[in-house]
Amino acid sequence: MKIGFFPLLVSLLPCSAGAVDLTWSGFGTVGYALSDQPYKYQRFIDDQGTFKRDSILGAQLDVKFNPEWGATVQARLAPSAENDSAWAATMSWAFVSWRPQDDWLIRVGKLRLPLMLNTENRDVGATYEFARLPIEVYSIAPTTDVVGLSVSKTWLTGRFDWTLEGYTGKMPTYWRYYQRDVGVNSQNPGSYFVELDVKSSGLVLTARDIDNVFRIGVHEVEATRVGDTSHADIPYRPLAPGIGFYDIEGARRIDKMIIPVQTLGASVLLPGDFRVTGEYARIKVDSSSQGLTRWGAYLAVSRQFGDWTPYVYYAKMKSPDDVLERYKAINGNRVPPLPPPYDATRINQSQKLAADILSPYDQWTAALGTSYRLTPTSVLKAEWSHTRSGVVSSFIDAPSGSDSSDRHINVFSLSYSFTF
Amino acid sequence: MRKGTLALLILLLVDSLGAADDPVVLIAYPGLPKADQPSIQRLYTGRIVSVGQQSAVPVNLPAGHPVRQQFLETILGQDEGQYTGYWLVRRYVGKGAPPQELRDVDEVLRYVSETPGGVAYVPASRVPAGANVIFRR
Repeated sequence: MKIGFFPLLVSLLPCSAGAVDLTWSGFGTVGYALSDQPYKYQRFIDDQGTFKRDSILGAQLDVKFNPEWGATVQARLAPSAENDSAWAATMSWAFVSWRPQDDWLIRVGKLRLPLMLNTENRDVGATYEFARLPIEVYSIAPTTDVVGLSVSKTWLTGRFDWTLEGYTGKMPTYWRYYQRDVGVNSQNPGSYFVELDVKSSGLVLTARDIDNVFRIGVHEVEATRVGDTSHADIPYRPLAPGIGFYDIEGARRIDKMIIPVQTLGASVLLPGDFRVTGEYARIKVDSSSQGLTRWGAYLAVSRQFGDWTPYVYYAKMKSPDDVLERYKAINGNRVPPLPPPYDATRINQSQKLAADILSPYDQWTAALGTSYRLTPTSVLKAEWSHTRSGVVSSFIDAPSGSDSSDRHINVFSLSYSFTF
Repeated sequence: MRKGTLALLILLLVDSLGAADDPVVLIAYPGLPKADQPSIQRLYTGRIVSVGQQSAVPVNLPAGHPVRQQFLETILGQDEGQYTGYWLVRRYVGKGAPPQELRDVDEVLRYVSETPGGVAYVPASRVPAGANVIFRR
């Protein structure tokens, strides 16, 4: 995000603002994760251990010009979204807010979207009990941030505050792909990032009281590949009876993808102080990366015992069955030695690449963890999770020559999150 | 050192005993209308920014101050951990920062008398003559 954007917004504020109330705060997480597998999971986690998956440092400035006008800037230092080996300092938020009445809130600038229950505060580990938000759900939206406009209206009823929020905006983002064997632009395996311009609009209804929250949202994302068109599909080219290949180069091209996203979530305090939290999201992507079409859900149960909050959750995400079958067909496709002009070796390499570009998901995770509140603003967390992939999972960087099917991964996580 | 600790304990004990006989009341800058308890709860949790269509700017005493503890427990129905936790989330979902914290009751009284829209809680025994009391349990 350009540095000059926020000062420009602030300069548009009414000059009549009197005493300005500035509040600085900071947040961070030092998180270590270790798995029992030699390959990477969720970009960074393997049996060598990593601090990169969960560690983050951020700062936020809240400016209150008067009861109606305010502004917020949040910056963070975290692993880059476009490079697996770099860290990047980015502006998470930079918006001006205007509250003309109690029940209206208008925000303009760089915003984080109200997608899942913890999307907006996901960088601040001290605000939730999980060591890591379930990736099966929290990875689904193509982008969580936009530069744009948000308008919300709140109804204060007897018990619940009902908030209807509409937003629209755009933002460049990156989709990560992992090639097991040959890469798109090189003969080396590894990750690569595709830059997309994303426009996102949505409508979200949230009901909240002191103990419970319910949220439902519908969103539409328009994604355009920067400087290129997108492949619409991966067609099959027959060469002879029973012999053919999936063609990633001659596919139909499209300028943009229209991606609908639906979200649903609830966190409810039950008798006995048990908290049950469940969230569900689904997305539909019509492109060669058809496997990004998927649903994800989790159900968590937690209970606070003084400073301790142990929890368990089960999460699952899955692409449609026909896409998983297609993945199996592409991944297992081989052609025998062929006469010129065909190159069987090159074609067979391209089938793995095509399967990886399809990007399907089929995995579940069970997790057992606890948080321990050192103070109201700092928390220690420990978690053991077990993940199993089914047909395939694009969160797993499968070793060359193999694939990510039927993988069992235990992950141990320990983190300290704080705000100040 | 031990004498100092004992003195502090006695002070806190006297403070807490006194609190029972000295309820917290809400005072405001002249002209701000009376409010009910739900409105005070919403004002101190950032869900409204006005009282009776007039802008309101609440202030807090520092965390751990006995009058603040009494206010949280008797008016908001929360303890310090819950209130801090609430604002922690609210701040980091981009819905604003908690009310400004002032050092002590004297500073709060000065703030309310000088700041249009100012709202604060103070012990009933410290309410100045002629102050605008907008809520009393």
